[in-house]
Amino acid sequence: MVSNPLALIAELTHRCPLHCVYCSNPLQMAGATSELSTEEWTSIFQQSGKLGMLHAHFTGGEPLARSDLTELIAAAHAAGLYTNLITSGIGLNEPRLQALVAAGLDHIQVSFQDSREEPANWIAGAKAHAHKIELARAIRRHKVAFTVNLVVHRQNLDHLEEIIAFIEQMNPERVEIAHTQYYGWALVNRTALLPTRAQVEKAIEIVAAAEKRLAGRIRIDSVVPDYYAKYPKACMGGWGRQLVLINPAGKVLPCHAAEVIPGLEFENVREKSLEWIWQESASFRRFRGEDWMPQPCRSCDRRSEDFGGCRCQALLLTGDPTATDPACSLAPQHHIVDLALAEANSGGAVASPTTASSFVQLQNQTSNLWTYRTNPD
Amino acid sequence: MSPPSDSSQPRLAAGCRWGGTDENRVILFPEGAIKLQGTGQQVLEHCDGQRTFGDIIRELQSQFTEADPNKIRDDISKFLEQLQQKRIVDY
Repeated sequence: MVSNPLALIAELTHRCPLHCVYCSNPLQMAGATSELSTEEWTSIFQQSGKLGMLHAHFTGGEPLARSDLTELIAAAHAAGLYTNLITSGIGLNEPRLQALVAAGLDHIQVSFQDSREEPANWIAGAKAHAHKIELARAIRRHKVAFTVNLVVHRQNLDHLEEIIAFIEQMNPERVEIAHTQYYGWALVNRTALLPTRAQVEKAIEIVAAAEKRLAGRIRIDSVVPDYYAKYPKACMGGWGRQLVLINPAGKVLPCHAAEVIPGLEFENVREKSLEWIWQESASFRRFRGEDWMPQPCRSCDRRSEDFGGCRCQALLLTGDPTATDPACSLAPQHHIVDLALAEANSGGAVASPTTASSFVQLQNQTSNLWTYRTNPD
Repeated sequence: MSPPSDSSQPRLAAGCRWGGTDENRVILFPEGAIKLQGTGQQVLEHCDGQRTFGDIIRELQSQFTEADPNKIRDDISKFLEQLQQKRIVDY
Protein backbone atom coordinates (compact mmCIF):
# COMPACT_ATOMS: atom_id res chain seq x y z
CA MET A 1 0.00 0.00 0.00
CA VAL A 2 1.28 3.47 -0.82
CA SER A 3 0.85 6.41 1.56
CA ASN A 4 -2.36 8.32 1.19
CA PRO A 5 -2.18 11.70 -0.51
CA LEU A 6 -1.35 14.76 1.58
CA ALA A 7 -3.56 17.23 -0.21
CA LEU A 8 -6.54 17.51 -2.50
CA ILE A 9 -6.65 19.95 -5.38
CA ALA A 10 -10.33 20.61 -5.97
CA GLU A 11 -10.77 22.02 -9.45
CA LEU A 12 -14.35 23.14 -8.89
CA THR A 13 -15.12 24.54 -12.33
CA HIS A 14 -13.43 25.46 -15.56
CA ARG A 15 -15.58 28.58 -15.91
CA CYS A 16 -13.57 31.77 -15.42
CA PRO A 17 -14.17 35.49 -15.96
CA LEU A 18 -10.48 35.93 -16.82
CA HIS A 19 -8.78 34.78 -20.00
CA CYS A 20 -5.14 34.69 -18.88
CA VAL A 21 -2.73 33.81 -21.66
CA TYR A 22 -0.57 31.81 -19.23
CA CYS A 23 -3.43 29.64 -17.94
CA SER A 24 -2.43 26.04 -17.33
CA ASN A 25 -5.97 24.67 -17.61
CA PRO A 26 -6.40 22.06 -20.32
CA LEU A 27 -7.49 23.21 -23.78
CA GLN A 28 -10.34 20.66 -23.54
CA MET A 29 -12.33 21.93 -20.59
CA ALA A 30 -15.20 20.40 -18.65
CA GLY A 31 -18.51 22.16 -19.30
CA ALA A 32 -20.80 23.55 -16.60
CA THR A 33 -23.38 20.77 -17.03
CA SER A 34 -20.83 18.07 -16.17
CA GLU A 35 -19.78 19.68 -12.86
CA LEU A 36 -19.99 17.75 -9.60
CA SER A 37 -22.83 18.69 -7.24
CA THR A 38 -22.48 20.14 -3.73
CA GLU A 39 -23.25 16.69 -2.28
CA GLU A 40 -20.64 14.98 -4.45
CA TRP A 41 -17.94 17.44 -3.38
CA THR A 42 -19.01 17.08 0.25
CA SER A 43 -18.52 13.34 0.00
CA ILE A 44 -15.06 13.91 -1.51
CA PHE A 45 -14.02 16.15 1.40
CA GLN A 46 -15.27 13.59 3.92
CA GLN A 47 -13.34 10.83 2.16
CA SER A 48 -10.24 13.06 2.08
CA GLY A 49 -10.45 13.78 5.80
CA LYS A 50 -10.79 10.06 6.56
CA LEU A 51 -7.72 9.33 4.43
CA GLY A 52 -5.75 11.70 6.68
CA MET A 53 -5.30 14.34 4.02
CA LEU A 54 -4.38 17.78 5.32
CA HIS A 55 -5.24 20.43 2.73
CA ALA A 56 -8.00 21.21 0.28
CA HIS A 57 -6.91 23.67 -2.38
CA PHE A 58 -9.92 25.18 -4.12
CA THR A 59 -9.11 26.16 -7.66
CA GLY A 60 -10.53 26.20 -11.16
CA GLY A 61 -11.21 28.05 -13.44
CA GLU A 62 -12.55 30.50 -10.95
CA PRO A 63 -13.91 28.74 -7.84
CA LEU A 64 -16.09 31.79 -7.07
CA ALA A 65 -18.10 30.93 -10.18
CA ARG A 66 -19.64 28.17 -8.03
CA SER A 67 -22.58 29.67 -6.16
CA ASP A 68 -22.20 26.98 -3.48
CA LEU A 69 -18.58 27.85 -2.65
CA THR A 70 -19.36 28.83 0.95
CA GLU A 71 -21.03 25.45 1.54
CA LEU A 72 -18.08 23.66 -0.02
CA ILE A 73 -15.56 25.50 2.19
CA ALA A 74 -17.70 24.65 5.23
CA ALA A 75 -17.82 20.98 4.22
CA ALA A 76 -14.04 20.77 3.75
CA HIS A 77 -13.48 22.58 7.03
CA ALA A 78 -15.85 20.20 8.84
CA ALA A 79 -13.85 17.29 7.42
CA GLY A 80 -10.76 18.70 9.14
CA LEU A 81 -9.04 20.00 6.02
CA TYR A 82 -7.04 23.22 5.80
CA THR A 83 -8.94 25.29 3.23
CA ASN A 84 -7.11 27.36 0.66
CA LEU A 85 -8.96 29.40 -1.95
CA ILE A 86 -6.97 30.10 -5.11
CA THR A 87 -8.77 32.87 -6.92
CA SER A 88 -8.68 35.84 -9.26
CA GLY A 89 -10.97 37.59 -6.79
CA ILE A 90 -13.52 38.35 -9.48
CA GLY A 91 -16.92 37.58 -8.00
CA LEU A 92 -15.85 38.32 -4.45
CA ASN A 93 -17.23 41.24 -2.48
CA GLU A 94 -16.86 41.87 1.23
CA PRO A 95 -20.08 40.16 2.42
CA ARG A 96 -19.20 37.01 0.45
CA LEU A 97 -15.65 37.12 1.80
CA GLN A 98 -17.04 37.40 5.32
CA ALA A 99 -19.25 34.37 4.73
CA LEU A 100 -16.31 32.33 3.44
CA VAL A 101 -14.19 33.22 6.46
CA ALA A 102 -17.08 32.37 8.79
CA ALA A 103 -17.40 29.01 6.98
CA GLY A 104 -13.80 28.19 7.89
CA LEU A 105 -11.63 29.57 5.11
CA ASP A 106 -8.03 29.42 6.36
CA HIS A 107 -6.24 31.12 3.50
CA ILE A 108 -6.90 33.07 0.35
CA GLN A 109 -4.52 33.40 -2.57
CA VAL A 110 -5.28 36.13 -5.05
CA SER A 111 -3.54 36.30 -8.41
CA PHE A 112 -2.16 39.55 -9.78
CA GLN A 113 -0.96 39.86 -13.35
CA ASP A 114 1.13 43.04 -13.00
CA SER A 115 1.46 46.22 -10.94
CA ARG A 116 0.28 48.41 -13.80
CA GLU A 117 -3.35 48.35 -14.76
CA GLU A 118 -2.98 48.30 -18.54
CA PRO A 119 -0.61 45.33 -18.89
CA ALA A 120 -2.41 43.47 -16.09
CA ASN A 121 -5.72 43.63 -17.93
CA TRP A 122 -4.00 42.85 -21.23
CA ILE A 123 -2.56 39.59 -19.83
CA ALA A 124 -5.85 38.65 -18.15
CA GLY A 125 -8.02 39.62 -21.12
CA ALA A 126 -10.37 41.27 -18.62
CA LYS A 127 -10.71 44.46 -16.62
CA ALA A 128 -9.82 42.86 -13.33
CA HIS A 129 -6.88 44.77 -11.86
CA ALA A 130 -8.70 47.62 -10.07
CA HIS A 131 -11.13 45.19 -8.43
CA LYS A 132 -8.26 43.04 -7.17
CA ILE A 133 -6.64 46.01 -5.44
CA GLU A 134 -9.90 46.86 -3.71
CA LEU A 135 -10.35 43.24 -2.69
CA ALA A 136 -6.83 43.07 -1.24
CA ARG A 137 -7.76 45.94 1.09
CA ALA A 138 -10.96 44.15 2.13
CA ILE A 139 -9.08 40.92 2.84
CA ARG A 140 -6.87 42.69 5.39
CA ARG A 141 -10.00 43.64 7.31
CA HIS A 142 -10.81 39.95 7.92
CA LYS A 143 -9.19 37.19 9.87
CA VAL A 144 -7.81 35.13 7.03
CA ALA A 145 -4.27 34.58 5.81
CA PHE A 146 -3.42 36.20 2.49
CA THR A 147 -1.02 35.29 -0.29
CA VAL A 148 -0.49 37.26 -3.48
CA ASN A 149 0.33 35.10 -6.44
CA LEU A 150 2.20 36.56 -9.38
CA VAL A 151 2.90 34.61 -12.55
CA VAL A 152 5.98 36.00 -14.27
CA HIS A 153 7.01 35.78 -17.93
CA ARG A 154 8.66 37.67 -20.78
CA GLN A 155 6.07 40.47 -20.70
CA ASN A 156 6.33 41.49 -17.04
CA LEU A 157 9.78 40.44 -15.78
CA ASP A 158 11.43 43.70 -16.79
CA HIS A 159 9.64 45.58 -14.01
CA LEU A 160 9.62 42.87 -11.36
CA GLU A 161 11.01 45.21 -8.70
CA GLU A 162 8.12 47.58 -9.21
CA ILE A 163 5.64 44.69 -9.01
CA ILE A 164 7.12 43.43 -5.73
CA ALA A 165 6.92 46.95 -4.26
CA PHE A 166 3.28 47.10 -5.38
CA ILE A 167 2.53 43.75 -3.73
CA GLU A 168 4.29 44.82 -0.54
CA GLN A 169 1.80 47.66 -0.12
CA MET A 170 -1.03 45.11 0.04
CA ASN A 171 0.67 43.61 3.09
CA PRO A 172 0.10 39.88 2.48
CA GLU A 173 1.75 37.26 4.70
CA ARG A 174 3.15 35.58 1.66
CA VAL A 175 3.98 36.17 -2.00
CA GLU A 176 4.30 33.46 -4.56
CA ILE A 177 6.34 34.41 -7.61
CA ALA A 178 5.87 31.67 -10.13
CA HIS A 179 7.45 31.43 -13.52
CA THR A 180 4.98 30.36 -16.16
CA GLN A 181 4.79 26.61 -16.64
CA TYR A 182 4.18 25.57 -20.20
CA TYR A 183 1.00 23.52 -20.22
CA GLY A 184 -2.43 24.18 -21.69
CA TRP A 185 -2.86 27.76 -22.85
CA ALA A 186 0.62 28.76 -21.70
CA LEU A 187 2.19 26.24 -24.08
CA VAL A 188 0.11 27.59 -26.97
CA ASN A 189 1.44 31.06 -26.06
CA ARG A 190 5.00 30.05 -25.24
CA THR A 191 6.74 32.28 -27.79
CA ALA A 192 5.22 35.41 -26.25
CA LEU A 193 5.82 34.25 -22.66
CA LEU A 194 9.18 32.49 -22.50
CA PRO A 195 11.68 34.92 -20.93
CA THR A 196 15.25 35.54 -21.98
CA ARG A 197 18.13 34.16 -19.94
CA ALA A 198 19.05 37.71 -18.89
CA GLN A 199 15.50 38.27 -17.59
CA VAL A 200 15.61 35.04 -15.60
CA GLU A 201 18.99 35.80 -14.04
CA LYS A 202 17.97 39.33 -13.12
CA ALA A 203 14.74 38.02 -11.58
CA ILE A 204 16.66 35.59 -9.37
CA GLU A 205 18.73 38.49 -8.00
CA ILE A 206 15.66 40.66 -7.44
CA VAL A 207 13.78 37.90 -5.63
CA ALA A 208 16.79 37.09 -3.43
CA ALA A 209 17.13 40.76 -2.46
CA ALA A 210 13.40 41.02 -1.69
CA GLU A 211 13.51 37.83 0.40
CA LYS A 212 16.26 39.33 2.50
CA ARG A 213 14.59 42.70 2.85
CA LEU A 214 11.16 41.29 3.73
CA ALA A 215 12.28 38.41 5.98
CA GLY A 216 9.94 38.05 8.93
CA ARG A 217 7.34 40.32 7.32
CA ILE A 218 6.43 38.75 3.99
CA ARG A 219 7.48 35.28 3.05
CA ILE A 220 8.42 34.84 -0.60
CA ASP A 221 8.08 31.49 -2.29
CA SER A 222 9.37 31.33 -5.83
CA VAL A 223 9.01 28.77 -8.56
CA VAL A 224 11.98 28.61 -10.93
CA PRO A 225 11.52 28.19 -14.67
CA ASP A 226 12.34 24.58 -15.49
CA TYR A 227 13.37 25.38 -19.08
CA TYR A 228 16.39 27.21 -17.66
CA ALA A 229 17.17 24.71 -14.91
CA LYS A 230 19.76 21.96 -15.07
CA TYR A 231 17.42 19.31 -13.73
CA PRO A 232 13.67 18.89 -14.06
CA LYS A 233 11.15 19.80 -11.38
CA ALA A 234 9.78 17.09 -9.12
CA CYS A 235 6.38 17.62 -10.67
CA MET A 236 3.60 17.29 -8.05
CA GLY A 237 6.20 15.64 -5.80
CA GLY A 238 6.02 12.60 -8.07
CA TRP A 239 3.15 10.93 -9.91
CA GLY A 240 0.55 9.66 -7.41
CA ARG A 241 2.88 10.23 -4.47
CA GLN A 242 1.54 13.26 -2.59
CA LEU A 243 -1.24 15.07 -4.40
CA VAL A 244 -4.52 14.21 -5.98
CA LEU A 245 -6.57 16.46 -8.24
CA ILE A 246 -10.26 16.15 -8.95
CA ASN A 247 -11.48 17.99 -12.03
CA PRO A 248 -14.87 19.72 -12.31
CA ALA A 249 -16.49 16.61 -13.79
CA GLY A 250 -15.17 14.27 -11.08
CA LYS A 251 -12.20 12.75 -12.91
CA VAL A 252 -9.40 11.93 -10.50
CA LEU A 253 -5.98 12.95 -11.80
CA PRO A 254 -2.41 12.97 -10.51
CA CYS A 255 -1.96 16.55 -11.79
CA HIS A 256 -3.58 19.41 -13.68
CA ALA A 257 -2.51 18.30 -17.14
CA ALA A 258 -2.58 14.49 -17.01
CA GLU A 259 -5.54 14.18 -19.36
CA VAL A 260 -3.27 15.09 -22.28
CA ILE A 261 -1.57 11.70 -21.96
CA PRO A 262 -3.17 9.33 -24.45
CA GLY A 263 -4.10 5.80 -23.45
CA LEU A 264 -4.73 6.54 -19.77
CA GLU A 265 -8.24 6.04 -18.45
CA PHE A 266 -8.89 8.26 -15.45
CA GLU A 267 -11.46 7.02 -12.99
CA ASN A 268 -14.38 9.14 -11.83
CA VAL A 269 -15.16 9.77 -8.17
CA ARG A 270 -18.83 9.34 -9.10
CA GLU A 271 -18.13 5.65 -9.68
CA LYS A 272 -15.28 4.64 -7.37
CA SER A 273 -13.98 5.68 -3.96
CA LEU A 274 -11.12 8.12 -3.76
CA GLU A 275 -9.13 5.58 -1.77
CA TRP A 276 -9.53 2.84 -4.40
CA ILE A 277 -8.62 5.21 -7.21
CA TRP A 278 -5.49 6.39 -5.38
CA GLN A 279 -4.35 2.93 -4.32
CA GLU A 280 -5.49 0.66 -7.11
CA SER A 281 -6.36 2.44 -10.35
CA ALA A 282 -4.18 1.77 -13.38
CA SER A 283 -3.79 5.48 -14.11
CA PHE A 284 -2.28 6.24 -10.69
CA ARG A 285 -0.02 3.20 -10.85
CA ARG A 286 1.17 3.95 -14.38
CA PHE A 287 4.07 6.28 -13.44
CA ARG A 288 4.29 5.60 -9.72
CA GLY A 289 7.68 4.40 -8.50
CA GLU A 290 10.58 3.70 -10.83
CA ASP A 291 9.59 0.71 -12.95
CA TRP A 292 8.41 2.83 -15.87
CA MET A 293 11.62 4.86 -16.04
CA PRO A 294 13.79 4.97 -19.14
CA GLN A 295 17.52 5.65 -19.14
CA PRO A 296 19.16 7.90 -18.07
CA CYS A 297 16.57 8.24 -15.22
CA ARG A 298 16.63 4.57 -14.23
CA SER A 299 20.27 4.72 -13.15
CA CYS A 300 20.35 8.40 -12.18
CA ASP A 301 21.11 9.37 -8.57
CA ARG A 302 18.47 12.07 -8.75
CA ARG A 303 15.60 9.73 -9.64
CA SER A 304 14.29 9.73 -6.07
CA GLU A 305 14.41 13.55 -5.97
CA ASP A 306 12.80 14.57 -9.24
CA PHE A 307 11.12 11.29 -10.26
CA GLY A 308 12.14 11.76 -13.88
CA GLY A 309 10.42 15.15 -14.08
CA CYS A 310 7.01 15.75 -15.54
CA ARG A 311 5.16 13.11 -17.58
CA CYS A 312 2.87 15.65 -19.21
CA GLN A 313 5.76 17.83 -20.30
CA ALA A 314 7.49 14.75 -21.73
CA LEU A 315 4.37 13.95 -23.75
CA LEU A 316 3.73 17.54 -24.83
CA LEU A 317 7.28 18.15 -26.03
CA THR A 318 8.45 14.74 -27.24
CA GLY A 319 5.17 12.90 -27.94
CA ASP A 320 6.25 10.16 -25.51
CA PRO A 321 4.98 10.26 -21.90
CA THR A 322 7.65 7.77 -20.80
CA ALA A 323 10.56 9.92 -22.02
CA THR A 324 12.87 11.70 -19.59
CA ASP A 325 11.48 15.21 -19.08
CA PRO A 326 13.22 17.22 -21.84
CA ALA A 327 13.78 20.06 -19.35
CA CYS A 328 16.53 17.85 -17.87
CA SER A 329 19.99 18.63 -19.23
CA LEU A 330 20.68 14.88 -19.28
CA ALA A 331 17.58 14.05 -21.33
CA PRO A 332 18.17 12.54 -24.78
CA GLN A 333 15.67 15.05 -26.17
CA HIS A 334 16.89 18.11 -24.29
CA HIS A 335 17.52 19.79 -27.67
CA ILE A 336 13.76 20.49 -27.88
CA VAL A 337 14.02 22.82 -24.88
CA ASP A 338 17.31 24.27 -26.13
CA LEU A 339 15.64 25.14 -29.41
CA ALA A 340 12.84 27.01 -27.64
CA LEU A 341 15.44 28.85 -25.54
CA ALA A 342 17.49 29.76 -28.61
CA GLU A 343 14.40 31.34 -30.12
CA ALA A 344 13.58 33.18 -26.89
CA ASN A 345 17.10 34.59 -26.70
CA SER A 346 17.41 35.61 -30.34
CA GLY A 347 16.53 39.23 -29.61
CA GLY A 348 12.88 39.37 -30.60
CA ALA A 349 10.96 42.43 -29.42
CA VAL A 350 8.50 42.27 -26.57
CA ALA A 351 5.02 43.45 -27.50
CA SER A 352 3.37 46.30 -25.65
CA PRO A 353 -0.04 46.34 -24.01
CA THR A 354 -3.09 46.99 -26.10
CA THR A 355 -6.22 48.55 -24.72
CA ALA A 356 -9.61 47.69 -26.05
CA SER A 357 -13.20 48.32 -25.09
CA SER A 358 -14.19 44.66 -25.15
CA PHE A 359 -12.67 41.21 -24.89
CA VAL A 360 -13.53 40.43 -28.51
CA GLN A 361 -11.72 43.56 -29.66
CA LEU A 362 -8.72 42.69 -27.49
CA GLN A 363 -8.71 39.18 -28.93
CA ASN A 364 -8.71 40.53 -32.49
CA GLN A 365 -6.01 43.08 -31.81
CA THR A 366 -3.62 40.55 -30.28
CA SER A 367 -4.42 37.44 -32.34
CA ASN A 368 -0.95 37.61 -33.94
CA LEU A 369 0.65 37.54 -30.49
CA TRP A 370 -1.29 35.05 -28.42
CA THR A 371 -4.46 33.08 -27.84
CA TYR A 372 -6.61 34.03 -24.88
CA ARG A 373 -8.05 31.27 -22.73
CA THR A 374 -11.71 30.81 -23.57
CA ASN A 375 -14.52 29.31 -21.50
CA PRO A 376 -15.99 25.82 -21.63
CA ASP A 377 -19.35 25.31 -23.38
CA MET B 1 13.94 41.19 12.71
CA SER B 2 14.98 40.53 16.25
CA PRO B 3 14.64 37.57 18.64
CA PRO B 4 11.66 37.50 21.04
CA SER B 5 11.92 39.60 24.21
CA ASP B 6 10.69 38.46 27.62
CA SER B 7 7.38 40.28 27.15
CA SER B 8 6.75 38.96 23.59
CA GLN B 9 3.70 36.76 23.27
CA PRO B 10 4.53 34.15 20.65
CA ARG B 11 1.65 32.61 18.69
CA LEU B 12 1.08 30.83 15.41
CA ALA B 13 1.08 33.33 12.53
CA ALA B 14 -2.02 34.04 10.45
CA GLY B 15 -2.79 31.10 8.18
CA CYS B 16 -0.99 28.59 10.40
CA ARG B 17 -2.83 26.18 12.66
CA TRP B 18 -2.54 22.79 14.30
CA GLY B 19 -3.77 19.76 12.40
CA GLY B 20 -3.12 16.05 11.88
CA THR B 21 -3.92 13.46 14.51
CA ASP B 22 -3.08 13.23 18.22
CA GLU B 23 -0.20 10.83 17.51
CA ASN B 24 0.97 12.84 14.56
CA ARG B 25 0.49 16.54 15.17
CA VAL B 26 1.45 18.95 12.42
CA ILE B 27 1.32 22.67 11.87
CA LEU B 28 -0.55 23.45 8.69
CA PHE B 29 0.23 26.46 6.57
CA PRO B 30 -0.93 27.48 3.08
CA GLU B 31 1.33 25.30 1.00
CA GLY B 32 2.37 22.59 3.37
CA ALA B 33 2.80 21.28 6.87
CA ILE B 34 5.58 20.68 9.34
CA LYS B 35 5.66 17.63 11.50
CA LEU B 36 6.61 18.37 15.08
CA GLN B 37 7.88 16.02 17.69
CA GLY B 38 9.37 16.17 21.14
CA THR B 39 10.50 19.49 22.51
CA GLY B 40 9.74 21.44 19.33
CA GLN B 41 6.11 20.44 19.66
CA GLN B 42 6.12 21.24 23.37
CA VAL B 43 7.51 24.71 22.78
CA LEU B 44 4.91 25.52 20.15
CA GLU B 45 2.08 24.20 22.28
CA HIS B 46 3.08 26.87 24.81
CA CYS B 47 2.90 29.58 22.11
CA ASP B 48 -0.76 30.43 22.64
CA GLY B 49 -0.51 34.21 22.34
CA GLN B 50 -1.26 34.50 26.09
CA ARG B 51 1.94 33.33 27.72
CA THR B 52 4.93 35.60 27.33
CA PHE B 53 8.29 34.39 26.09
CA GLY B 54 9.50 34.80 29.69
CA ASP B 55 6.69 32.54 30.98
CA ILE B 56 7.43 29.90 28.37
CA ILE B 57 11.13 29.85 29.22
CA ARG B 58 10.41 29.56 32.95
CA GLU B 59 7.95 26.72 32.46
CA LEU B 60 10.30 24.73 30.28
CA GLN B 61 13.31 25.45 32.48
CA SER B 62 11.42 24.06 35.47
CA GLN B 63 10.45 21.01 33.44
CA PHE B 64 13.94 20.24 32.13
CA THR B 65 15.94 20.76 35.31
CA GLU B 66 18.92 18.80 34.05
CA ALA B 67 19.59 21.10 31.10
CA ASP B 68 21.49 24.39 31.35
CA PRO B 69 18.80 27.08 31.75
CA ASN B 70 20.73 29.53 29.57
CA LYS B 71 20.97 26.98 26.82
CA ILE B 72 17.23 26.35 27.00
CA ARG B 73 16.62 30.08 26.62
CA ASP B 74 19.03 30.39 23.67
CA ASP B 75 17.70 27.33 21.88
CA ILE B 76 14.05 28.36 22.19
CA SER B 77 14.84 31.92 21.17
CA LYS B 78 16.62 30.71 18.02
CA PHE B 79 13.87 28.20 17.25
CA LEU B 80 11.15 30.87 17.47
CA GLU B 81 13.19 33.36 15.48
CA GLN B 82 13.63 30.83 12.68
CA LEU B 83 9.90 30.10 12.60
CA GLN B 84 9.17 33.81 12.66
CA GLN B 85 11.34 34.32 9.57
CA LYS B 86 9.27 31.66 7.85
CA ARG B 87 6.05 33.40 8.87
CA ILE B 88 4.92 30.44 10.97
CA VAL B 89 5.21 32.19 14.32
CA ASP B 90 4.54 35.81 15.26
CA TYR B 91 5.59 37.55 18.45
